[in-house]
Amino acid sequence: MQKIDDLETLRSFLASKDNTVNNVYFSDVPQVCKDFPCILGIDEAGRGPVLGPMVYGTAFCPLNEATLPDSLGCADSKALNEESRDVIFSKICANRKMGWGVEVIAPNSICNSMLSRQKYSLNQVSMDAAINLIKMALKGGVNLSHVYVDTVGPPEKYQAYLKSLFPNVGVTVAKKADSTFPIVSAASICAKVTRDYALKGWGFGEGLQAGHEEFGSGYPGDPNTKKFLQNYRDPVFGYPHLVRFSWSTASEALKEAYHVDWEENEEVIPIGNTSITEFFKMTKNRGARSLHDFFTTRCLSRKVEF
Amino acid sequence: MAIHIDNIRNYILKQENNSKVQSMPFRILADCDAPVSKYFETGVKVQEDETQKASFRGYPLRGKTVELPEGYIGVVLHESIAPVSDKEERKFHVTNKFKTLTYWNWDKAPSKNDKIIQALDWIDVAEALHSPITEE
Repeated sequence: MQKIDDLETLRSFLASKDNTVNNVYFSDVPQVCKDFPCILGIDEAGRGPVLGPMVYGTAFCPLNEATLPDSLGCADSKALNEESRDVIFSKICANRKMGWGVEVIAPNSICNSMLSRQKYSLNQVSMDAAINLIKMALKGGVNLSHVYVDTVGPPEKYQAYLKSLFPNVGVTVAKKADSTFPIVSAASICAKVTRDYALKGWGFGEGLQAGHEEFGSGYPGDPNTKKFLQNYRDPVFGYPHLVRFSWSTASEALKEAYHVDWEENEEVIPIGNTSITEFFKMTKNRGARSLHDFFTTRCLSRKVEF
Repeated sequence: MAIHIDNIRNYILKQENNSKVQSMPFRILADCDAPVSKYFETGVKVQEDETQKASFRGYPLRGKTVELPEGYIGVVLHESIAPVSDKEERKFHVTNKFKTLTYWNWDKAPSKNDKIIQALDWIDVAEALHSPITEE
């Protein structure tokens, strides 16, 4: 496993991975985090954009070092600019008392989930990622005492669910937790920096030569993102794997592409309500033989009369 | 109604390359070339059980490549003039041939209940029904 210890190794880690599937990175667990009870924060980045991955991040440190994230500058991550996030991320990587991890959820796997037969919502995808990160921390030997999770949805049910999965760990799920709990803010920075680098360095499997300047931030309101969705539309396939097709911005833009009719899988089975007199009626088309079920169930039909 | 297929024998003898045929669970309302290798094949992932996964416009697809039975060949036909009524004679010409085809289901693992696999059953039945009876 490649180690990420600064922005450069983050960049090369992301570049070496297949960006159409989910990728996970988890840092080494510092010995102090195994020996002493720890707090762990979880937050996401890139939920709204129509382009690129959604990233779930986690950061953890010993409970008695709880002021550590604060001292690294992990305040309200939304209030920080890109440069200061990069600086803080490097500090988190270098710190010997803190560990961190990210799950990069590919845009393709987001739309595959949302467009599956049994629609799997973005909230479910998010919860799975959060749960996976907690499991990885436990597996890595982190002495977990309390977990803080940021959420956009209603916190109560989510919190109860996490408590049922991890009965030995304290759980707090809250809205805007990244501005309330510095450890969540640290997680948020890991997620946001990873998301930014993943988008900036996006390599198109389709061989498109578009750079980050062309597709922009991925937010539906970004004029560059809008232009990209206009200019890089294939009339048959729509878009490369960078795009979340399940976003209304993308499906709106695809109205300009060729229309696609999906196969209807429901077969209509006629219910036999034939009245008995039907069988005695004279019919004109006595000659027309209908095909045996063997053929109809196999979608076989006769194209030539013999 | 009769169907004519131009030059089928010559074509098959002459053609060395098999074309790649994929059956999709949807219809695209257009008749044109499409950059299949660029947008679709780059995203195809072969699974451990040799089935395949891919996406089309974000929809998850599960696919399988099947070989046509021994002694059979697949042909792609083109009809230049579409018939106006179903009484008319129809004329096709062969544009490509194939020995394997890949079919795709929308988010459903390939199984022997898939329509294409079932349709191939007919070949065995036809073989039994229509092969010449030899005296033994």
